[in-house]
Order: sequence, then C-alpha cells, then structure tokens
Amino acid sequence: MSSAPLLEVRDLKKYFPIRKGLLSRTVGHVKALDGISFDVSAGEVLGLVGESGCGKTTAGRCILQLTEPTSGSVRFEGRELVGLPRRELRSLRQRMQIVFQDPYSSLNPRLTVGSILREAITTHKLASGRAADERVADLLAKVGLSPSHAARYPHEFSGGQRQRIGIARALAVNPRLIVADEPVSALDVSIQAQVVNLLRDLQRELGLTYIFVAHDLSVVKHISDRVAVMYLGTIAELAGSAELYANPRHPYTVSLLSAIPIPDPDRRRNRIVLRGDVPSPANPPSGCRFHTRCYMAQPLCSEQVPLLREVAPGHWSACHFTEAVAGK
Amino acid sequence: MSQSESILTKRLRKFRRLKRGYYSFLIVTIAYAISFALPLIANNKALVVRYNGQFFFPVAGYHAAAEFGEQAIGEADYRELKTRFEQEARGNWVLMPPIPFGPNEALLDDSGSPPNPPSWRHLMGTDDRGRDVLVRLAYGFNISMTFAIVVTLFGEGLGIAIGAMLGYFGGKLDILGQRGIEIWSSLPFLYTIIIISSVVVPVYLPGHAQLAQPSFWLLVVILSAFNWMGITYYVRGEFYREKVKDYVGAAMVAGVSDTRIIFSHILPNALTPVVSFAPFVVVANIGSLVALDFLGFGLPAPTPSWGELIGQGMENLTKWWLVFYPNGVLFLTLLLVVFIGEAVREAFDPREYSRLR
Repeated sequence: MSSAPLLEVRDLKKYFPIRKGLLSRTVGHVKALDGISFDVSAGEVLGLVGESGCGKTTAGRCILQLTEPTSGSVRFEGRELVGLPRRELRSLRQRMQIVFQDPYSSLNPRLTVGSILREAITTHKLASGRAADERVADLLAKVGLSPSHAARYPHEFSGGQRQRIGIARALAVNPRLIVADEPVSALDVSIQAQVVNLLRDLQRELGLTYIFVAHDLSVVKHISDRVAVMYLGTIAELAGSAELYANPRHPYTVSLLSAIPIPDPDRRRNRIVLRGDVPSPANPPSGCRFHTRCYMAQPLCSEQVPLLREVAPGHWSACHFTEAVAGK
Repeated sequence: MSQSESILTKRLRKFRRLKRGYYSFLIVTIAYAISFALPLIANNKALVVRYNGQFFFPVAGYHAAAEFGEQAIGEADYRELKTRFEQEARGNWVLMPPIPFGPNEALLDDSGSPPNPPSWRHLMGTDDRGRDVLVRLAYGFNISMTFAIVVTLFGEGLGIAIGAMLGYFGGKLDILGQRGIEIWSSLPFLYTIIIISSVVVPVYLPGHAQLAQPSFWLLVVILSAFNWMGITYYVRGEFYREKVKDYVGAAMVAGVSDTRIIFSHILPNALTPVVSFAPFVVVANIGSLVALDFLGFGLPAPTPSWGELIGQGMENLTKWWLVFYPNGVLFLTLLLVVFIGEAVREAFDPREYSRLR
C-alpha cells in the first residue's frame, strides 16, 4: 500500500436492534459488523469471504451507505461518507457502484434493459439523446451482450445474462469502486467462471477497484489481490491472495481452505471439519469469537479478544496463537 | 417469441382473451362514449331548423320562440314548431333528434296523468312528473359513470400517493399516518354527507346568483375524501415489499431521487392491487351515488339520476316501469363492470393459471 488508499474503512460497526414487546423496546443488538478496518488502494481487488451471516454483505452495503452504519468511518477518495447528507452522497455515488447477488430482484421487471442502463447515465448527466443510446450499446457490448438486447425486458434473459446487465449498469457511470456482492453465488458453476472472468477483464481494462464479496474461497482466489476473511462481524485474517492461500495464519482460514473441494479423488488430505454452527451475532462468544469452534482453542481464547496484528509484512491475523498456526 | 413484450402488454393481451370481461368492457366503453353525444340523440331541442331561408342549430345555442314567429315567451318548443311548419308547408322545416324529449322536460300535455305507462312515444314510460324514463336513464348513465370514474381517479390517486409515502419512508411517518387513517376511516360517512348536504343548501342573496349547492363536484370531493383509505393499505404493503428489493437499491446507488424511485421504479410494480380493485371501486361508487340520490342527499334536482328514479319506483310500486327499468339498468351496468373487474383481476393475476374463463 504505497499510494494513498482509494477507500479507508475504520472500525466500521453496524448493529441491528432487536425489538420486542408492545412498545418495541430494544432488548439487544445483532452485531452484524463489529469494528472492521481495512484499506483498498486504487486498482486493487479485495476479496471479502466468510460464512453466511458473517457480515460480508452488510460490510459492502455500509461502505456504499446503502445501509447506514452504526459507527465508524468510511473515507472514499479522502472524503468521509458516514453522515454525509443524501444530496452530497448522490453525486459521489457516481464513483462507487454495486453489483448485487440476486440477478432476479436486482433488475426492475417493468423497465427495458436499455432504460435501466440509460437511467444511470442520464441521472448523472453523462450523456443524453443519441449519445446515451450509443453508450448503452457500448456497455452491452462490453459485458458480452448484443446492443439489440437494449429493447428487451429482464425476464427474457438468463441468470448469467441478467448478471451481465447488472454489471453493465454498475459500469454505466464510470465508477472507480465497485462492490460486487456475491455476484456469482446465484449462478451455475459454468456461468460463474464466465462472469468472474468478465469482471476480471473489465477490472484490468478499466483500472477498476473491486471489493469482491463471496463465500467461496476458490472464486475469490481467482480474482483478488488481497483477501479478508470475516467471522461473525470481525476480520479474522487479511493478507495478499497468494500468501493467504499458501500460508494461512488463522485457524478459521485453515479450516475454510481445507474445505475447498479438490477435483482429485485419490488425493488424501487433512480435512478440518468445524464443529457446530456459527454462534448468534446477537450474543457473540467472549474473547476470540471463533474459540467455540476452534480446533486449537486455549483457555486464553475465551478470555481475551485477539487483536488484528501484522504477523508478516502485509499479513494480518487476529489469533493469539498465530505462530502456532504457521508451524502446523 | 421474437417481439419483446412488457408485462403490461402481456396482461392486456390476456385481458383481451377473456371474452366475457373484454366484451363487457367494449359494451360499457362504447355506451359511455355514445352517452356523451346524448344531446344529439335524445333532446327536446331541434338539431337543425330551417326558417325563412336561414339555418339555425338550436342544440348549440338558445333561440327564443319569437325568432321563429311564435307568440310564446322563452325558448321555442321545437316539437310544436315542427308540426306547425309541416302544416304550413312553406319550405320551413325542423330536424329533431331521434328521441325528441329532453331529460328534464315534463310532458304534462300527454293524455292521462303521469306516470304514464310505456308506449311507442315513450318506450319506458314517463315518471311522476311526466319526464321520459328512457331519456332520463340514458343521461343518468353518463352522469353515474362520469361520477364513479372521477371519484375513483381522485380517491385512488390520493390513496396511492399516501400509501406510497407511508410504505416508502416507513418509520414514524408510517405509524402516525396509519393511526390518522384509522381515525379518519371511523368517521361515519353517511352522517357526514347528510350534515354537509344540509349545511350546503342553495343559498340565494339579493343581487347575487345562486351561491352554493350540493353539486356534482362537491359530491366528488366528499366521496373521494372518504374513499381513499382502503387502497393505502395495499399500496403501502406493496411498497414495503418492493423497496427492499435490489433494483431499488441499485437505483439509489445510481443516485436516482426519491420521487423518481417512488413513481417510476416502485409504483409500476405496486399497481397490481390498484388496477384489480379499480372496476370494483367504480361499482361501489355508482352504488354510492345511487344510494345518496335515493335518500335525497345526492345531486340536486332535476339532475337525471338513477337513485331518484329508483326512489320514485319505491313510491309507485304498482307502476312497474318505474321499478323495473331503473333497477334493471343499474343491475346491468353493475354486472358489466363486475365482469370487467373479474377479467382485469384475472389478467393481472401474478399466477399464470386460470380458473375463470
């Protein structure tokens, strides 16, 4: 991280209140995000992985201010986004976009593909009239669709094609940062590869910055420069992609990596199966949040919260026994 | 399918396939369109008068009797004029509409005392003031439909706007708004309208024209004010469901304004209940107007109204034409609109299969 980062996230928290009873008193909070911090430099792809419910999606939405964070700071191009009035946010949004997980609900069924794409362009007054039409055709070609598709409605497309339209919509305003919120989880495996490759090609061609949210480590590995592993609303480990896969320094990462299927039936390996479910984020375990399921938990783990510390240059891990993980 | 179709186009096509509803729709629309030309079809004013080499068009304007060489004061009686011209045979002539009676014209010179039973002259007889029932029913159709459609547009429009706001913004606005709606819905509609009608009576002041009276538009405003609540619940619910969908989030991220998101993104997806209810709301509004007219709190006399005729039937139960025709026409109209409503509901059914055909 030599240059100034494009995006700085500091201690970002999002608590959803749990309301009960007649007067909807707040009886507790679901700590969907409990203080995450990271930087993303321009042109970088940061993978965000974790199990369901670990706060990956909330993190993506909080960064874009689609969900208002409870506290913390998000600085984009050096400008604080948290607490920014809607009007100012609106103009900034031209430079940060999102690709949604569900390609079915993310396209308005009443609008043609052309008008969906046009809207983003005209809202920011990037082009109008014929120029906008040309831009729509350009965008469709860029994501591997035909310009004639502009006149069609979303229900006439397959899931993969719809996701391409979603990508085209994100690209329509020339953004710098795109949050890709599990863009391929809803797609067939064969289509997943196409869409991931499209995203990667676009990133290289246009110099985009991605935050790529996924629950599938192999997908993330393919596209990311750095990967952050999340567990119960916190970051467990953050490292360069190659480094993380070759040399994981958090037991959670180790177990996740061991769960990646390898297409070789003869190969034997040390599979670490996690016991139990993810604890409730409304009532997270004391100390290290992973200690209830960790295969190498010690008494210390349930008492003291491990801090995210740099264990090797550019490699951060939140484990008391990260050295032991490395030695294993 | 080579041609791209919007959901609306598909639904309209499906509506056209539902014959009963579609034909009802055609009948009602054509009848309603024709009813605007009623002054040319059923009127006591002549279409064209040829008098002393000059043409007159009494339908379009007032002509005093004296202009045609008559002795009477006031507007010319064109039926009388026609018989006179024919007797004189001096090249003057009068072209009357096919039904030469006006809606508010008391035909007291007919033989017998009104109400007169149906005859070739008056196909549905006359009412207790000697007015042609067929003509009054026809004019009443136009007024009833116009009234019901206008009230539906106003009421639903208000309901959609309020429901959309509550659903989209949610939170405190929603809670307060809903409580407000509950209080407002508990106001007894009939009493309110009776009170308003009794306060707003025709007022005459010396030197002034008539000031105010319970008119068409006053009734429209009152009925709309009591008719918008029902639809808010549906629209609000639809907005709650739609606003969390990703396409709304995408529009927000694209920087689209709230107003645009509400009206051009969510609303088209939230209109299904509104459209499905609309024909039934029209039915209810026709019913309301008839009921108010029947009770005497509706449109001011002598507006041709169905409720007033049904009221006359009530008072003259032995005069079958005053009972049968007004009720029959009301029944037929409501039935046709309900058929339309059924077909609309079916065409807009999110599930594709159909049980009703």
